[in-house]
Amino acid sequence: MIHLPKEETKLMVAVHGWSGIMLGLVLYAVVITGMAAVFAEEIGAWSAGHVETQSAFARPFDQSVRELAARTPKEFQDDVDLFEIGDHNLGVFFHRHEVAPSGELINRGVYYQLDRHGRVAGELRGTGEEVFGPRNDDALSSFLVDTHVRLHVPDPWGLLLTGAMGLAMLVAAISGLLIHRHLFKDIFTLRRDANPVLVDRDRHSVAGTWSLPFAFVLAFTGSFFSFFGTVGVPIVAMAAFGGDQQAFSDTVFGQPGTPDPAPRPIGNLDRIAADAIGRTGGAPTFMTIEHFGRADAAVTTFHDPKSGDIEPVTLVYHGASATFDREKPSIGSKSSAGGTLAAIMAPLHFGNFAGVLSKAIWFGLGFAMCYVTLTGIRLWLARRRERQRAFDWLERAVSVVGFGLPLALLAAAAGFLVAMPLGSAVYWTPATFLAASAAAILAGVVVPTHALLSRGLAISIGALLVALPLIRLASSGPAWPVAIENGQLAIMAVDIAMFAGGGWTLWQLLGATRRRGADHDASLEPAE
Amino acid sequence: MSPRIRKWTRIGFAGPGAVIGALAIMAGMSLWLPRGTAGIDNLVLPLVFLPLIWAGLFFHACLDARLGRVVLVALGLFALHGGLVAQKFLGRPAVTAVTSEAPR
Repeated sequence: MIHLPKEETKLMVAVHGWSGIMLGLVLYAVVITGMAAVFAEEIGAWSAGHVETQSAFARPFDQSVRELAARTPKEFQDDVDLFEIGDHNLGVFFHRHEVAPSGELINRGVYYQLDRHGRVAGELRGTGEEVFGPRNDDALSSFLVDTHVRLHVPDPWGLLLTGAMGLAMLVAAISGLLIHRHLFKDIFTLRRDANPVLVDRDRHSVAGTWSLPFAFVLAFTGSFFSFFGTVGVPIVAMAAFGGDQQAFSDTVFGQPGTPDPAPRPIGNLDRIAADAIGRTGGAPTFMTIEHFGRADAAVTTFHDPKSGDIEPVTLVYHGASATFDREKPSIGSKSSAGGTLAAIMAPLHFGNFAGVLSKAIWFGLGFAMCYVTLTGIRLWLARRRERQRAFDWLERAVSVVGFGLPLALLAAAAGFLVAMPLGSAVYWTPATFLAASAAAILAGVVVPTHALLSRGLAISIGALLVALPLIRLASSGPAWPVAIENGQLAIMAVDIAMFAGGGWTLWQLLGATRRRGADHDASLEPAE
Repeated sequence: MSPRIRKWTRIGFAGPGAVIGALAIMAGMSLWLPRGTAGIDNLVLPLVFLPLIWAGLFFHACLDARLGRVVLVALGLFALHGGLVAQKFLGRPAVTAVTSEAPR
């Protein structure tokens, strides 16, 4: 237990409260979209009706890459990145490295999007930032992830903003720990018969305390990701390499070895993929070929952590001969403290180290964080309600953001489901989000009471949750028998989660209405 | 020093001071941390620890009852790490466009 003197405790309460009030609503937006983004892959499959379950790397793709190399200008054939897109199809990015006038490292080249049969379905030329935008079939999951990562604010400002939110969460978590005088007692204290403010305070404390380690981990890893490329790498590269970010990248991520630029065709990529699957038990999530078409070509395959482990697996192959070279850490050429710490940041932040189980826990704890953020602001306001009516607008803003944001995200999902078959999901997904947000803000202005506003928005959330699986089916999404036949259980799971979530929300609202009605009747009895 | 000036000094060191200090420490750390077995620890660890360095400076500025110590610690760390970076640049030959220079 940490016992601070009275003055310091008062200061920490102020820091905890003000950090929540100043940044709480933006933090809530980052956390709630992050909570949904934990299941971005499953939501992507559910929304786009993807039923393929076999990885693109488990199917032959070597010939396709050779044909693409033959039609790609040599100037873009320094390196090749291969990754999955859409319904387990392959994306191939032939590129070269450039340094932008700002000193930032960029990749420029040709990005091919292949269909299931390895034919070119799309071809884009430009820098990585220019070609990797949302596509019609992943507009919803891209929208969710982009909202979480940068709140749709252009780089680097969006990343700096979400990084600052991570620091605010770090402050709230640490100060929350410091202001608990009876931490272990508070974890189990829920006074149901106390006055409403105390009941809310207990719930806030219990949810906040249980999720405290998680909040700390998320805030720490989230700010690491936000600041890594925006300020971290440029500053460390400035100090260690005089500003040369390419030298930094080569030292940290590069493959040591003697250069051999002699032309040599790349070895069989199918053989490399099969070997990597055999060694790790899972298909690569990403494959990169350095020095494509040269004798010193190196193929690196990246895999999810093995069962019971938290660090991702990375294998290196001799590109020209397609033979196994070694297993290496994700970062650095040899195992080291820094490399291991940096490598476990992603699994810790995304919660994907133990499959659906860890993702479900991360989702649940994310929900707890949203609850803690909103109840924290409401408590802060409740303490001041007697003294200052001036915070009425903030109370209303909390309702609009607290309920309006999930409503707008669900509306975006509905917009995506309707627009995707028409090929216009990239436009309509954010458009419906903005329209629903505007409607929630308008409701915040015109609805007379907070209670009515919150109830109206919550009913809309419940109704939309129940309706989304039906909208999915109505817009030609695969039915459950088709999904089961293909082994794609994510579609069923998300449908059930939506139904259950919507049903529970509506049931809670109905229960609250009945209780209010009973209280009203009881209060009328003496008068009758 | 008046309570008002003390309060704003503390806010200055907890706010912009903690940000500037954390960035300077991150830059300087890459010059004194051991490189480790893979030769990258001095480059990667400062990036990993940046949020914690900031949090340390922020909470120290908030909680240390002695404002003088807050100023001394923050300025001391800034001077030490800023000095290391400055020394690295001042010690560099005038024209060194060597892109593959290894970290010190």
